[in-house]
Amino acid sequence: MIGRRYAIAIGLGAAVALAATAALAHGVADKDAAFIQANPGLQIVPFLYLGAKHMVTGYDHLLFLAGVIFFLYRLREVALYVTMFSLGHSITLLSGVLANLHVDPFLVDAVIGLSVVYKALDNLGAYPTLIGVQPNPKLMVLLFGLVHGFGLATKLQDLELSKDGLVPNILAFNVGVELGQIVALSLILAAMTLWRSTGSFRRGAVAANVLIMTAGFVLMGQQLAGYFWEGAA
Amino acid sequence: MADEQPHGVKLARPKLLAAIALAAVAALLILFAAVLPAEYGRDPTGLGKATGLARLWAPKEVKLDPNTGAGPLAREYPAGWRTDVIEIPLKAFAGDPRDVQIEYKVRMRKGATLIYEWEVAGAQHANDLYYDFHGHTLASQPGETMTVATYKQAQAGRAAGALTAPFDGIHGWFFQNGALTPVVVRVRVAGFYELIPAGQPGNEAGIVANVPASQSRPAVPPAPPAPTAR
Repeated sequence: MIGRRYAIAIGLGAAVALAATAALAHGVADKDAAFIQANPGLQIVPFLYLGAKHMVTGYDHLLFLAGVIFFLYRLREVALYVTMFSLGHSITLLSGVLANLHVDPFLVDAVIGLSVVYKALDNLGAYPTLIGVQPNPKLMVLLFGLVHGFGLATKLQDLELSKDGLVPNILAFNVGVELGQIVALSLILAAMTLWRSTGSFRRGAVAANVLIMTAGFVLMGQQLAGYFWEGAA
Repeated sequence: MADEQPHGVKLARPKLLAAIALAAVAALLILFAAVLPAEYGRDPTGLGKATGLARLWAPKEVKLDPNTGAGPLAREYPAGWRTDVIEIPLKAFAGDPRDVQIEYKVRMRKGATLIYEWEVAGAQHANDLYYDFHGHTLASQPGETMTVATYKQAQAGRAAGALTAPFDGIHGWFFQNGALTPVVVRVRVAGFYELIPAGQPGNEAGIVANVPASQSRPAVPPAPPAPTAR
């Protein structure tokens, strides 16, 4: 019963957060794009901030991170997995923007949704049961990190960057992403530690991962619908 | 390294399949009841209409520069010429936003012209009124885009001019009262256009033309007389 109550609370929290970010996303992004276009050239601090903001307000990245650290208790392990994730997304973020690779943002975001579903299933021990093998979790975090990096790259490309000061600006954005990730991760980790110290964690863990999986399916559905109805323009 | 999922849970197959089914069904419900209607205007199940979320959808906007393109300077129009006076009451700045700012537009065909003059009565300062003179097409179907043209955004107490519509659609003004007193914006238009019935896009506030300000917004009765000084 307590598990169910927790599940409802988490679900409501997630729904409110999702609605709030979705509502904010449009106008704020427009304002940022206008700033970047009006201020070409070297802009270290603004790009740091934009990178951090994209991470902290990017619920798709946060859901994946929450899934990744869900059952990681030791700080050393958290650091290791998060490093794999950072390595993955830095590679594609930097190379994607610098090599001017254009990936369809809807499809990338759909695969990011898939990564959330993947991790939730992993947390429920699904792979040995379903496909008979347990994929290496660190390797998978690295691989999905690559996809998340393409997602970050598409957001950065939306800002229509000028050639002037491009490399330092992108590096600043990337550092900002990592800073934002540390901030977000600290909050998630604090909340998880608090929750783990109560008896309800064991009972709620399954429900929480079902919710994470649900959110992943919703992200996938939303992005695929966007691809078919509004994409390929 | 040895301990890959140190404290994870491992669900038995039936429970696992039930968990996946639950997540998938919940996701489909959220998608069809909320996300698809609100984000894309697609509502195959009618759930979006039932929850009211379908109203959140707005078509993608395409901006059009109204200062490009020119047509013949002399034209004839099949529709009849008309003229109207619209008095729009706006409450003092601190009030309910729906009464402080109002949008009033008229329908125009592409190439049709109107001339206008509007002025504010009741404001203490000439620049207390913000206005956004603009037009857009009416996109109501999913997948359609909405073409938007902004003619002028400024603060003023009066403006006059002419507009030749760059596209079929609704064209007019967003007025926002910045004064600490209620004001009336008196708009006079003449030319080739149609008034929009109350409640339809462009006249959501339900403004009635050609009546005094006290009767021009029947949806919102005029404020009761101010209480006597304390």
